[in-house]
Amino acid sequence: MLGFIKKDLFIIKNNLKFIGLIFIVYLLMAFTNKMDVTFLLPFLSVVLMISTFSYDDFNNWNAYAVTMPKGRANIVKAKYLSTLILLVISTIIVTIISILVSLVNKKPINYSELLLMMSVTMYTTALVLVIMYPIIFKFGVEKGRIAIFILIFGIAILGGLFIDYINLSSVVKLLDKYWQIIIPVTGIGLIYISYIISKRIVMKKEY
Amino acid sequence: MKNIIEIKNLVKKYDNFTLGGLSLDIPSGCIIGLIGENGAGKTTLIKCLLNIIKKDQGEIKIFGKSNYLNDDIGVVLDNMFFPEILKPYEIGKIMQGIYQNWDTELFNNYLKEFELPTNKPIKELSKGMRKKLEIATALSHHPKLLILDEPTSGLDPVVRSEVLDLFLEFIQDEDKSIILSTHITSDLEHIADKIIFIDEGKIVLNEMRDDIIDDYGILKCSKEEFKNIKKEDIVRYKQNKYNYEVLVKNKKEIKKKYKKMVIDNITLEELMVLMIKGEA
Repeated sequence: MLGFIKKDLFIIKNNLKFIGLIFIVYLLMAFTNKMDVTFLLPFLSVVLMISTFSYDDFNNWNAYAVTMPKGRANIVKAKYLSTLILLVISTIIVTIISILVSLVNKKPINYSELLLMMSVTMYTTALVLVIMYPIIFKFGVEKGRIAIFILIFGIAILGGLFIDYINLSSVVKLLDKYWQIIIPVTGIGLIYISYIISKRIVMKKEY
Repeated sequence: MKNIIEIKNLVKKYDNFTLGGLSLDIPSGCIIGLIGENGAGKTTLIKCLLNIIKKDQGEIKIFGKSNYLNDDIGVVLDNMFFPEILKPYEIGKIMQGIYQNWDTELFNNYLKEFELPTNKPIKELSKGMRKKLEIATALSHHPKLLILDEPTSGLDPVVRSEVLDLFLEFIQDEDKSIILSTHITSDLEHIADKIIFIDEGKIVLNEMRDDIIDDYGILKCSKEEFKNIKKEDIVRYKQNKYNYEVLVKNKKEIKKKYKKMVIDNITLEELMVLMIKGEA
């Protein structure tokens, strides 16, 4: 399985020069306080992970990968693990940059706020992933895009229909009070469910 | 001889194509050539063997097991399958993390032998170089069985003969086998021990190569002469503009029977064309 993770990381490494420019712009914006950019890097890691799916699809890697020892199970396991690795790395980078920005601008560093920011960023990024991965495993990146669009559109419509029936302020209060528990528990739970669904899809899929 | 692959009644159905009821035993220690025209079912069979697609019915055992995908099988598929942004040395590092028996030194030796650049993205390599990289990868984890779909397509004659020599070297060990599909039937005339000919999802011929070359012949004759040939002696025939080509079996007996006619040895290509295009 380690090999599959290496494959994703090599693809990302070889792709890095393409996001080098984005990274420079990001740094400029961060240090000049033009924008709060904490979210950008973890999201970029999602984009990079999706690019690994694109290469897998484009060159039919999975047809080959399933012929390897425990290939099908490892394809999925490795994809989730490389994502986690990338997410953790990018969150650490963002944290360091945020601290540096505060130091350069001689602002006091609010560590609890920073922790909250990082948690929320990682959580939303993970949410994007858990929704996208099973769809991409099922349909591939190209068709998956359409499916994801339909899904998000559907959620938006449903949300619009039911928003009046939900007491938003109580939800916010609950989140505000218990986010230290809610975020990790639901985060890990959702990732696990997504992983199980993806695995089921890949175990049955024909390449 | 032990059987390395045992297939019983394998069925795979598609809307417009069925790989139907295939049963096959493949002994160890030999090279099996899979031939047939495009869409005949060669790739479908190979994909079923490798669990890339799911069979609808039947049983496949390799090394006597139904759950057989492990280090002992080396694979080359018909289409390019390495993400093209990767570099050959990265492929080595990746495979190290996948195959327990991965032999980095052997892999590097193959890269040298094949004159493959180690630090160039695969997308910049020629088709032949990519194929060589795939073959090097398949060989570098010391497999016992190679399953190869069109491993020589896109290679020039020089490299092709290099690769075929590699296969012959691989097979020196009695425990090892190769099953390979190809359009280039002349390759098989040099290396295959056994030929399996698939047409429209069915096996139409499954014989040792030497027997095919010894047994089958091609009889060329005029229309009048053709009329004198008994129906039971004709396997297939094809009417050309000026003559008839008749595929015959038991060449030696046929030669005695029709002394005036010329019976040539047959190539696998001629056999394939007559079997598919000829009339029975």
